[in-house]
Amino acid sequence: MATAKRYMGFVSLAAASGLILSGCAATTETSSTSSASNGGTEASADQKVLQFWAFGDMGLGDLIAEYEEMNPDIKINMKVSDFDPHHQGLLTSLDSAAPDIAAIEVGYSSLFKAVAGKFTDLAEYGAADVAGDYLDWRWNHGVDLDGRIFGIPTDVGPMTICYRSDLFAEAGLPTDRDEVSALWPTWEDFIAVGEQYVAATGNKFLSSTGYVWNAVKNQSTEKFYSADGSSLIYETNPQIQKAWDLSVAATPIAANIGDWTADWNAGMNNGAYAVLTCPAWMMGYIQGQAPDLTGAWDVATMPEGSGNWGGSQLTVPARAQYPEEAAKFILWILSAENQLKLFKASGQFPSTLAAYEDAELLAFESEYFNNAPVGSIYAEGVKQLAPIYEGPKERVIDQEFGAALGRIANGDQSEADAWAEAVNNIKRDVG
Amino acid sequence: MATNSKKLHRADRVSGFLYTSPFFLIFAVFGMFPIVYTFWVAFHKWDPFSEPKWIGLDNFTNLMADDRLWLAVKNTFSIWLLSSVPQIIFALFLAWVLNHSRIRGNTFWRSVVLIPNITSVVAVAVVFGQLFGREYGMVNWLLTVLGFSPIDWVNGSFASHVLISIMVIWRWTGYNALIYLAAMQAVPEELYEAAEIDGASKFRQFISVTIPQIRPTLIFTIIVSTIGGLQIFAEPLILDGQGYGGGVSRQFSTVTLFMFEQGFSRFEYGYASAIAIVLTVIIISISLVNFLIVRKIQKA
Repeated sequence: MATAKRYMGFVSLAAASGLILSGCAATTETSSTSSASNGGTEASADQKVLQFWAFGDMGLGDLIAEYEEMNPDIKINMKVSDFDPHHQGLLTSLDSAAPDIAAIEVGYSSLFKAVAGKFTDLAEYGAADVAGDYLDWRWNHGVDLDGRIFGIPTDVGPMTICYRSDLFAEAGLPTDRDEVSALWPTWEDFIAVGEQYVAATGNKFLSSTGYVWNAVKNQSTEKFYSADGSSLIYETNPQIQKAWDLSVAATPIAANIGDWTADWNAGMNNGAYAVLTCPAWMMGYIQGQAPDLTGAWDVATMPEGSGNWGGSQLTVPARAQYPEEAAKFILWILSAENQLKLFKASGQFPSTLAAYEDAELLAFESEYFNNAPVGSIYAEGVKQLAPIYEGPKERVIDQEFGAALGRIANGDQSEADAWAEAVNNIKRDVG
Repeated sequence: MATNSKKLHRADRVSGFLYTSPFFLIFAVFGMFPIVYTFWVAFHKWDPFSEPKWIGLDNFTNLMADDRLWLAVKNTFSIWLLSSVPQIIFALFLAWVLNHSRIRGNTFWRSVVLIPNITSVVAVAVVFGQLFGREYGMVNWLLTVLGFSPIDWVNGSFASHVLISIMVIWRWTGYNALIYLAAMQAVPEELYEAAEIDGASKFRQFISVTIPQIRPTLIFTIIVSTIGGLQIFAEPLILDGQGYGGGVSRQFSTVTLFMFEQGFSRFEYGYASAIAIVLTVIIISISLVNFLIVRKIQKA
């Protein structure tokens, strides 16, 4: 009996360790993954179903429905995941269950350039002929060092400042967008306005200091890597130092609310903060979260010129089941004409040059944003954008600095300690 | 006759192996192979951009000097204790009530306690994240109404452990309660009658009759919740929402989350495998301690 019991004990131990190890090795579960099917029709047997992986719905629903109507043999099946899990999952699935179409955001573009051979060369499907249609630096996010075209640019994200004019009025600040723009030629001025706002209302000005960080670091040609990609300069780049110092200085005027959280969404309505740095694609998001605030949000220029935030490439992995159909689809949906349509519907600003001369775009006003002439504002912003080098481990470095700013905001660490810990972690994980 | 029965025996033995073979085949492919492979990977430097390179014990020596691991170990133990102890006490209480109550709809109540367990853990974490939101969460609203100051559940170190533990307790108490209930129903009624005659109170009966009688079941659930608790992953992952660091100060980074971060965000497959092995060693040690204590109790 005693032996039997001892034996049972060891069996349960062995089973336990088996559980642990196999659990570890097999864990690929990622957070909230939802799948949305577009068009609403079930695929029939003779249809080719293209699997499309993205990290947001990209507002493509209408265009996809239009394409499916034009091509009855094609069905697009979109799978939307969270931002980081999407890219990380894509990287690990390129050798196995790759989709037909995948979105890659610019911050991840260099990581995927390193494995561009695992994507279809879109030049085979005529991509080289349309290269001149796009902003060259956006086009280059989808071209590797050997000239292989593995992705076609979607939108471009020139930043402005979206602000709550109603709350500005309550704080005794100007509300007119030109006067507001004139308040902050520099970031120091911007923070001073924030302090004035906080003093007048008792509410916070920014949702988090991460917004200053993200905007300032993108107002340059280099951030964490040197422009030729040969070395890591995050410790010495004056622009990074500037972004850091300004972000730390903004701590007292920021509400310390994380992006994309429930509190953040609610804050767009209830005035927990009064401004957001606003790439064109953010307009649709604000409108979706605060649909009742028509006319309250307005658009001003960003201190010290615009900067790019976001934009993606659409790619066709080499292991796609239908590479030809997928390539045809992305070349169609990202054409100059369709990018223009998309801007008018949901605010993503085109990366195609012809759009910037388009009379209708330049005259486009957003009713929601107090009739701001957003077409011409963002077209002006695009002109100010300089190509900025995105390094392979961009995102990892950015997350560490973002966490460091969070520690300062929480009061967990001093500025020096937070910086030191971030640099220490980056050195360990990146080099 | 004798040869016949021998033949039959052999046929029995063969068919026995055949009947059990699906388990062993599946275990070999999905259980044994990944375990062995994890060891192999742990001795290599490997990312998606290059071939694996043998580096001996480097991953382990780096890991031992990595303060992020020790913070994760500390967090994991804290969350495990905060969740397991109340969970077992609540489950025992719940099982006791279900066993002794004369309320109507017994079967109904017994199924209801299992509902949290079949709810998707992602949904649980999202809903709890909203309930415990710092600015507009219901819990903080209630605290303010009652005159307390609101708590930053996610950014506080201890507060975040409590929040994760609450999710675990909510999810697993009912499950454990059902297991205890099954064990309690096997306790002979005579023991209670005898205790009653000796003048034992209900509480005394619970401590001196019920607990000793269901001890094997208790041990089983403690071992299972140890394994589960030390591997906690989904709740801290979703609570963070921004990445796999477990909060800006890594205040609720657990060992499994750290392993996932290194493996699938930093793409250091070798380092992540080394973390997996360290976690295995930790869990085996804890289980051994468990085992020794249990043996001692049984001998006494």
